Amino acid sequence: MRATLTIALKEFRGYFIAPMAYVVVLFFLGVSGLIFVLTMAMPQAATNHYRGVMQSMVFITLMMAPVLTMSLLALERGRGTLELLMTRPVSDWSIVLGKYLAAVMIYTGLLIVTLLYPLLMSVGGEVEWGTILSGYVGMFCAGLAFMGIGLFGSAITADQIAAALSAFFILLFFWIMGFVAQSVPSGLGDVLNHLSFIEGYLEFAKGVIDLKNVVYFLSLAGFFVFLAERVVESRRSV
Amino acid sequence: MIEAAGLTKFYGTHPAIQDVSFRVSEGEVVAFLGPNGAGKSTTMRILTGYMPATEGTARIAGFDVTEESLEARRHVGYMPEHIALYPEMRVTEYLLYCGKLEALETKKLFERLEYVLEACSLQERADSIIATLSLGYRQRVGLAQALLHDPAVLILDEPTIGLDPIQIVEVRGLVKKLAGKHTILLSTHILPEAQQSCERVLIMNHGRIIAEGAPDKLTTQVRQAESYRVRVARPSSEVADRLRQVPDVLNVQSGPDGAYGVDTRIGSDPRAELSRTVVQMGWSLLEISPLELTLEDVFQALTMRKESAA
Repeated sequence: MRATLTIALKEFRGYFIAPMAYVVVLFFLGVSGLIFVLTMAMPQAATNHYRGVMQSMVFITLMMAPVLTMSLLALERGRGTLELLMTRPVSDWSIVLGKYLAAVMIYTGLLIVTLLYPLLMSVGGEVEWGTILSGYVGMFCAGLAFMGIGLFGSAITADQIAAALSAFFILLFFWIMGFVAQSVPSGLGDVLNHLSFIEGYLEFAKGVIDLKNVVYFLSLAGFFVFLAERVVESRRSV
Repeated sequence: MIEAAGLTKFYGTHPAIQDVSFRVSEGEVVAFLGPNGAGKSTTMRILTGYMPATEGTARIAGFDVTEESLEARRHVGYMPEHIALYPEMRVTEYLLYCGKLEALETKKLFERLEYVLEACSLQERADSIIATLSLGYRQRVGLAQALLHDPAVLILDEPTIGLDPIQIVEVRGLVKKLAGKHTILLSTHILPEAQQSCERVLIMNHGRIIAEGAPDKLTTQVRQAESYRVRVARPSSEVADRLRQVPDVLNVQSGPDGAYGVDTRIGSDPRAELSRTVVQMGWSLLEISPLELTLEDVFQALTMRKESAA
């Protein structure tokens, strides 16, 4: 547990040394801020509209997650520092979870900063905090899943670009399934719809925290973190 | 302290090491000697718990490196070949990170930090960013992190590779200083290095241990004769014949520039007699020096003996 935190804190600090994290943070806050300002410029801006902003933020997170996570394991493998890390009295789980935690910490920080937007809105008008809270729970859960997929991408290769692209394709796959679902027979369509991010997230945005959707995102996160750990462990015996 | 029994490791179908067994007792300094690709690093990676062996078992301080990997790793300080560090970190920051991963108590950690910075002569660069360090300093940081948690066993993979002669002497000195406090297994492909810093050597070739013993014993075991190089200013056809008549001389071969290779009986030192002969004959002695056995000689002798025995 202590090792996990040590690794998480080191990675977290590392984010502020590498330029990439700044680019990602600027991208996230810049684009979401822009969308917020544009949305608020519309007449009678209200919670309804902020729902749209939150949906855009989920999409931005989807694009950002592979970049935020690509270095976590791939860079250590590429540089060769993984060898020393893996000969410390630290389990592979601690390594993988520590890395994952660092990405989640950054993402959580970003989400907290964006809470400024609804706060700004509340100055000028009524805000339905319930809906906003539900939307943020949804964004957080979706982020957990996205970072998990990103971490997996980073585990399977020593090349950061390849890591980011792999993660991005997996994310895109889950995203697209929602669209595919509409053009296939309803039985299969339902299955695909349940597997897609969109269905899960839309309900959060409507203000409904359905346990089913929380479980969906969390199990997706758990599954990919688990896969990442398996990959790290299996690389030992190659 | 280190026990390896029948270690075998396959990369795909290629055996990197085969049936490697040896023991290192507490406080011993042992060198793995062998050419590149002999399987030294593979063996070390198994001992440090980085990867499992395909077959065989290994124990560090009594803990099995695969079954009780975390316990075994706690007792090992490891310096991999071509040490890879985090370039963006500062030396102290990196060492503190390593110490925390080794689960050192804060007070102990700072005590050890001070000790390793001094032992590895790193005080002046303690606050430097690792990316700005020269190779020699990085190597020292590598040694410092291996020592940090005061491990019972130190495994050093080619600790002097890429260093300049002065740094090599420093690292050897440090290893000598650490001997006794730690059990040390280091690898090298330089014979004199093994001879100077180790009590015992394990010679590896093609993934197998082909010989082991004290360095002096091993060289005498391999050596069939003492060899000297004699160089004279005025070589003539009689030189070789005349030198052959000196007592204890077994063979003389003439080389270019008035140099002669003189093989003499084991344990004999006929240098005085040789030089007297050269001077008396008026050939003018320029040089007379013992020829050191090189790693190539050892391998040649050992592999040839293996083949003739088979």
